[in-house]
Amino acid sequence: MANALLIQVLNGLVYGGLLFIVSVGLVLIFGLRRVVNFAHGSLFMIGAYVGFSIATVAGFWAGVLGAAVVLAVAGVLLDVSVFRPLRRQDPIATVLVTFGLLLILEDLAHTVWGKDTHTLPLPEMLAGSVDILGQPFPAYRLMVIAVAAAVGVGLALWLRFSRVGLFVRASSIDPVTTAVQGVNTDRVSALVVAVGTGLAGLSGTIAAPLLALSPSMGGSILIESFIVVVVGGLGSFSGALIAALAIGQIHNLGIIYVPWAATMVPFLLMVAVLVWRPTGFAGSHV
Amino acid sequence: MSRATMNLTGARVVAPRLSHVSWLLLAVALAAGFGLPGVVASVLVLTLLTQAVIGGMLAVGVGFLIRQNGVVSFGHAAWYGVSAYCFGLLLRHEVLPAELALVLALAVPTLTAFLLGLVIVRVPGVAFSMLTLAVGQAFHEFSMKAQGLTNGDDGFAIPLPDTLFGLPIAAVQQPETMFVLCWSLLALVIFGLYVTVRSPFGRLTEAIRENEERARFIGYRTVLPRAATYAISAFVAALAGLLFALYNGFVSPEVLHWSLSGSALIMAVIGGSRLLWGPALGAVIFFFLKDLAGNLTEHWPAMIGVTVIVVTVLMPAGIAGTLAELAGRLLRRTGGRA
Repeated sequence: MANALLIQVLNGLVYGGLLFIVSVGLVLIFGLRRVVNFAHGSLFMIGAYVGFSIATVAGFWAGVLGAAVVLAVAGVLLDVSVFRPLRRQDPIATVLVTFGLLLILEDLAHTVWGKDTHTLPLPEMLAGSVDILGQPFPAYRLMVIAVAAAVGVGLALWLRFSRVGLFVRASSIDPVTTAVQGVNTDRVSALVVAVGTGLAGLSGTIAAPLLALSPSMGGSILIESFIVVVVGGLGSFSGALIAALAIGQIHNLGIIYVPWAATMVPFLLMVAVLVWRPTGFAGSHV
Repeated sequence: MSRATMNLTGARVVAPRLSHVSWLLLAVALAAGFGLPGVVASVLVLTLLTQAVIGGMLAVGVGFLIRQNGVVSFGHAAWYGVSAYCFGLLLRHEVLPAELALVLALAVPTLTAFLLGLVIVRVPGVAFSMLTLAVGQAFHEFSMKAQGLTNGDDGFAIPLPDTLFGLPIAAVQQPETMFVLCWSLLALVIFGLYVTVRSPFGRLTEAIRENEERARFIGYRTVLPRAATYAISAFVAALAGLLFALYNGFVSPEVLHWSLSGSALIMAVIGGSRLLWGPALGAVIFFFLKDLAGNLTEHWPAMIGVTVIVVTVLMPAGIAGTLAELAGRLLRRTGGRA
């Protein structure tokens, strides 16, 4: 019984970890630009497809790396062509433009990869399972948890100890004062948006063997990561981590114990948190 | 509670009286609705127009929220869909006569939206959009999961009665008559919203939209009026959903899906929400473009995506706003000469 529960907790960590990698991209972009990227889920979806295409030619790991790089480049373009020109306007303008991008990207995926669902096979090295307290657990899922942990630790160190990290934290508290201090927020922003979208690409490819690839897969991950970001507190790195892990567990345990209500639980949690604290767990700083 | 209502009624902003022109415009709009089916011979065009007017009603609800609260909802399909489901379920399980079901189908979403509004309007700007998207999708999930109640993914046909308020049910299912009904209701809704916007309540919500903190400093409660605005816009969306249910006689989770919320928002953006009728114009353009594009290309989503971006960046007032501005300039020029 205890072992079975452990397996469920691990499964929850897999989902929570993926959610974290996607949501943290939104958090970073919000921290710097004070805007929400509604195309973020579509970038996850495009990342999965790009990873799938590269992986079928050059192997799984090349696919993961390739998707992250391609999406990071797309992120720079997104910052230069959308976020920067619209920065003096109402944030709603950016929301609407990225919503337009969402429609375009879904159509693009339809056109390039077709309407049929694809599946990315597991890398051979991780196709087996590992015994945990006598229970088999897929090795690939352990790898997903490891990647999520690595991303979390890496980002935390980067934000805490690097110069750019300092700028990002400063900017998320007060972008104007930070710019006045001589920080080139535009250049920092291009980098940060690239990291955020690159992570969307990375998580898309990593999630690809677990999900079926379809152009509409971006929608559900977008909504789930919105819940994470709102519950955690917009722009809060640690808030997003806690919220993602909590929702991963709740989602997973919900499927087992209250299957008819599983998908509703995160929404109810979100409303409850907002009644209690309208700005989320952690307020709004990175 | 009493203090809040006192503050609402205590807003002694002098609201200008409705001009004769606005009554005249309403009469003209109603007459045009009755006249149009006689002029448009094609049933196909009339069907399309009826859909556009129902979609336009939903978009008017979304636009009203943008105009009065300054926030963008990505989840108005929830109220549209809850209304349609409410009506359908009450008839399917033979709980109430159709006339009462009709009333409940409007009351339930409006009240739910008001209660939810008390929670979510406190969330600022962009986060509000994210929340409405999530809440909308929660209703969608529920309609899919509650198999026993809603028949899940497949939806169900609504067992409509033979007569409704003494009128034969065919009246709401044929485009010739349904168009007139929907059009008249849309005209009345826009007129009602116009009256609301010019009332002290409307002025107060505009003040809150411009600067909530200042409105609070002056002594107004700000959450209640914003939640009320949200409920009004939900009521308009619910009316649209009810008309849809009557016209199609069928509901499925599609009416709750976020892509419908997205389409309504697109209509509001294209038409422009500064003018109350802008989103309705946007809906007509949306439906006719969609019909046209359907014959020409498969890339309708990308086309509409590009349109949204172009309108947002180049025409923030939308097509209606831009037209009104041009008309205003033209009037001033001719007025100056006379």
